[in-house]
Amino acid sequence: MVKFLKPGKAVLLLQGRYAGRKAVIVRNFDDGTRDRPYGHCLVAGIKKYPSKVIRKDNTKKTAKKSRVKAFVKVVNYRHLMPTRYTLDVDLKDVVTVDTLQSKDKKVTASKETKKRLEERFKTGKNRWFFTKLRF
Amino acid sequence: MAPAKKTKKTHESINNRLALVMKSGKYTLGYKTVLKTLRNSKGKLIIIANNCPPLRKSEIEYYAMLAKIGVHHYNGNNVDLGTACGKYYRVCCLSIIDPGDSDIIKNMPGDH
Repeated sequence: MVKFLKPGKAVLLLQGRYAGRKAVIVRNFDDGTRDRPYGHCLVAGIKKYPSKVIRKDNTKKTAKKSRVKAFVKVVNYRHLMPTRYTLDVDLKDVVTVDTLQSKDKKVTASKETKKRLEERFKTGKNRWFFTKLRF
Repeated sequence: MAPAKKTKKTHESINNRLALVMKSGKYTLGYKTVLKTLRNSKGKLIIIANNCPPLRKSEIEYYAMLAKIGVHHYNGNNVDLGTACGKYYRVCCLSIIDPGDSDIIKNMPGDH
């Protein structure tokens, strides 16, 4: 009886181009909206995971390998698999409903998400989130 | 820890309680609606038949773990569960939203 689809919840996308990718819920719309009469949420996820960094990589190579490519999407709850993990990254100001209206706004939102996710990755926390799900 | 063989008496009592829920309470039958009730935390108890495919069973249990909703593994297959609900079709999983007059929520969740 606990609501678990909340902002900050790590989820897996099950359908679509980003199937198998991990994402974090930024904003929920439990009862849907006029255009989307079903429960859905705004997620920000990882399009391209950072590669494995080994000890003999120099700084330039680690910087290149630690890059994260992000995406922003509105997803139906049906196409998500919630997990027990959370990722508390503040993306509420970056990812909003109107950023998905036009392509260039989406690109800037993705770039800003990428920056925030990369700095979270570099701290070494939330390691589960940044590892690719093998299937 | 739990008794390996469920006694006939407790099995009948679940059926009685389920019949009372069907009469007086609110419930949904079927995998899609069960997940819906789990997502919006409306469900109070989930009952899964014993021949439910293991992937589906684990998925429902995972959702229920996140939502802190009890899951009961019914001692019978989907045909039996459908009959216990008074329906003429198979029911693999069902979600009790409002137990009505029944005390199924108080008595069953300890059983996993």
